[in-house]
Amino acid sequence: MIQTTQQGRRLFILLLGALLVLPAAPGRATVLGATGRTFTLTARADTISTGDGDSMWMWGLGLGGGRMQYPGPTLIVTEGDSITVILRNQLPVPVSLVFPGHSVTASGGTQGMLTREVPAARPGVPGQAVVYRFTATHPGTFSYHSGTLPDLEVEMGLVGALIVRPRGSPNQAYNDPASAFDREFLYLVTEADPVLHQQLAFSCLSAAGCDLASVDLTRRHPTDWFVNGRTFPDTMMDPFVAYLPTQPYNCAPMFHPGDRVLIRWVAGGADLHPFHTHGQNHLVIARDGRLLRTPGSAAPDLAVSDYTTTNVPGETVDALWGPWTGERLGWDVYGTQDINPHTCNAAPGSNFDPVSREYCPDHDKPLPVTLPSQSDVTYGVVGVGMWGGTPYLGVSGDVPPINPASSTQMNVVGGISFMWHSHAERELTTNNIFIGGMATMALIVPVGTAIP
Amino acid sequence: MQTSIRWTMRLAPVVAALLTPPVARAAVFIQCPAPLLTQNATGGSCGAGPCYLDPKNPAASSDPGCVDPEVVDPVTGKPTFFDTCKVRLDPVTGQPSGETTDPTIVCRSITCGDGHVNMADGSDMYVFGFRDVTNAPESLLAGAGFFLGEDGSLTGGAEFAAPTLVARVGQRLYLTLTNVGFRERPDLGDPHTVHFHGFPNAAPVFDGEPMSSFGLNMGASLTYFYDNQYAGTYMWHCHVEAAEHMQMGMLGNLYILPAQDGQAVTHGGQTYTRFAYDDCPTLGTLPLGTPDPMCGTTGYDVMYFLQQASFDPVFHYNDQTYQKLDFANMRDTYAMLNGRGYPDTVNPGVMVNSAGAPSQPLPAIPFTVDAQGVRAPLAIAQGQRLLLHLSSLATESFFTVTVLGIPMRIVGQGAQLLRGPTGINTSYVTGSVTLSGGEAVDVILDTTGVPPGTYFLYTTNLNHLSNDAEDFGGMMTEIVVASAAQ
Ligand SMILES: [Cu+2]
Repeated sequence: MIQTTQQGRRLFILLLGALLVLPAAPGRATVLGATGRTFTLTARADTISTGDGDSMWMWGLGLGGGRMQYPGPTLIVTEGDSITVILRNQLPVPVSLVFPGHSVTASGGTQGMLTREVPAARPGVPGQAVVYRFTATHPGTFSYHSGTLPDLEVEMGLVGALIVRPRGSPNQAYNDPASAFDREFLYLVTEADPVLHQQLAFSCLSAAGCDLASVDLTRRHPTDWFVNGRTFPDTMMDPFVAYLPTQPYNCAPMFHPGDRVLIRWVAGGADLHPFHTHGQNHLVIARDGRLLRTPGSAAPDLAVSDYTTTNVPGETVDALWGPWTGERLGWDVYGTQDINPHTCNAAPGSNFDPVSREYCPDHDKPLPVTLPSQSDVTYGVVGVGMWGGTPYLGVSGDVPPINPASSTQMNVVGGISFMWHSHAERELTTNNIFIGGMATMALIVPVGTAIP
Repeated sequence: MQTSIRWTMRLAPVVAALLTPPVARAAVFIQCPAPLLTQNATGGSCGAGPCYLDPKNPAASSDPGCVDPEVVDPVTGKPTFFDTCKVRLDPVTGQPSGETTDPTIVCRSITCGDGHVNMADGSDMYVFGFRDVTNAPESLLAGAGFFLGEDGSLTGGAEFAAPTLVARVGQRLYLTLTNVGFRERPDLGDPHTVHFHGFPNAAPVFDGEPMSSFGLNMGASLTYFYDNQYAGTYMWHCHVEAAEHMQMGMLGNLYILPAQDGQAVTHGGQTYTRFAYDDCPTLGTLPLGTPDPMCGTTGYDVMYFLQQASFDPVFHYNDQTYQKLDFANMRDTYAMLNGRGYPDTVNPGVMVNSAGAPSQPLPAIPFTVDAQGVRAPLAIAQGQRLLLHLSSLATESFFTVTVLGIPMRIVGQGAQLLRGPTGINTSYVTGSVTLSGGEAVDVILDTTGVPPGTYFLYTTNLNHLSNDAEDFGGMMTEIVVASAAQ
């Protein structure tokens, strides 16, 4: 049974529009974020939108004096650099930042429990700042978050990702070539309880400032689940769209067959999220910014392959998905000659065509079964569907309009897609609206179709 | 007028071409390239070749008990087909093996719909689910329409856990799904799918995730095709409206046996002929290499499969009674293995629901099945190794399990042998293992030096050692170690 809202339907139609212009659509070769050595972050309040059509009052971090965003800016730095993060505060509570996995010195502000804090903003009083300094000694994927009342402030949105790139090897996650990637995607997974946000928003309206005692965190019960600060299907929209001004980051993986795809998982919330990658296993090569390897080995010789990896609060995981080629399906995933004339010339000593990356032993083998007629199947879910019209990569076909409100066909390039999502299936909802929550669709397009 | 008629005549062939599908056929149809091997239940002659059922054309079956689905018992007036025509059973699962006259082809046929199962505290639970109908010829399956018939095999609705799917590396699985609809919630009209969770290098057409492909409507069939190339523990479930359909019970075990089985490999002084994985590259499907130190490490004597799942009775009640579903407050209070809570887990038989229909076919203990289908518990002889395919399809909960008194060696994870990229053995011994929904491990329990007796496998999330309010049971089963075989 499907329950949805008008607002939800409107967003799905927007999704259709986003995908219609596929060649210029959402995929990105590298993670979006702020680069450099010095970052100024300002803690501020604002609202975000969720896929059920609701909005939520948040505390977040803005780059410089800009509007806050959820999650905070992804800080992308280079191994060995000395990093300076200047934190300012416009919130009615003290805030701070901790950088797990790094040795940080903090100056300014006042001493809090975990680190130095910027006091609560007070009207008419010049704001203070705390300066955090650390050296990015190790490449890898990390997080940062508030070290002040973190149970409340991280729930409210004061969390972000930190990526340290190996010096001289921008297309590797680590210094070992086994961590090389063609495309990388950040999955910062969080959850939120909208009731807590409402309670806090009401209490902060009072002239006396926020009454934190009015917010009972023991009753925290998250019902919204996010990837990079957005719920599905907003995850699939373009980055930096005007209608999501405080949620700039999308998560819409797109790549070619044979690509090495790096997934950087950051568990930014307080709950476990088992993440399942349809289509192919992923090889977990690192946790918490450290390659999984035996002493003395440069390569991740203790890497583990899996189809679901549980994101544990506070932990990061780097995994190489695929490569996906359609190898050994027992039929030609590009279609037989009558459907899609194409050649497959395996490179010497290989089973794969070096250009198309097709698995040649299955070349020209027909699909072994007859598919049901179009009237016997339902394409997509609640108007969201990415079936290209045929089982074949690069071959578009006729698809009945998936959304009654739209006659447009999504996925016009004959791409094939796989859902990458939380396998705690309850989390595929946004505040009780299915479908939503912690999900993205990865899209594979044929070699030759340009990806931005 | 003349003009109008002529136009009609000219249009007629075009319209006919548009209305006629390229291949004329009914919406319910089975696709299996080879006939199914049968048990020859009547003992008649099958001619020179094997006994088989042709599900598309029973009259062409070689098994004399399978040629006429219309035969009716003169006393009861009921069809006798399912008494006289029995397909072969898998000795581990007790369910149809799907073996055909072609050893490289396995065919299974399942339906999806709704039904009722029994919880271990005696309460009735409304579920969505699947049912194995591999033994039903296409004519009976199609004749059943949206509502299943009264006869032995097609009686009753969904089973929980769903049928266990098994194939061997090198075998192609043709899995025909027929959507018979919900009897109690016909208003929903939901499509369903099969998601083969973890299938390597998958294609969306057979992945069952409906946003990347499509779901199957009521009254129609869809045959999924899987060319199995990699051994390991997988799992399967419906992926349509997954938060609902999975909580409602559309979940099942799935494992692929290695090509290496049948070859004798000695490891640690013991010789094994059955393995969790192709752990010897020189014997299996991996490229030829030097002798592998992991060769034989996944060998076992007895194998079984356990799937964690859990139900929220409030959610099920709401779905049964046309009420709004509360995903946000989903809270599981029945924690189960293979669709049963303790002590039902150790009952080797097929359980029936409150209406007397078979509802829960799978115990959570290894068992044997004789030719009549009678089951008995299977003890592990001291010194033997038990392989467990352990998976979770819980939609809300996370479960840790332990085996009190027997160490657990985890040899595989995510349908992969635990061997690092450079060949390091990354298997490990542990006292417990935690699974999230969608995760699986291969566990070997070595009973060398383990005194004969009954050992308990149970969740250490101790609040889940309960069947809802009944403070006893839940996610627990028994492993019986007998004296060493002489
Ligand atoms: Cu379903």
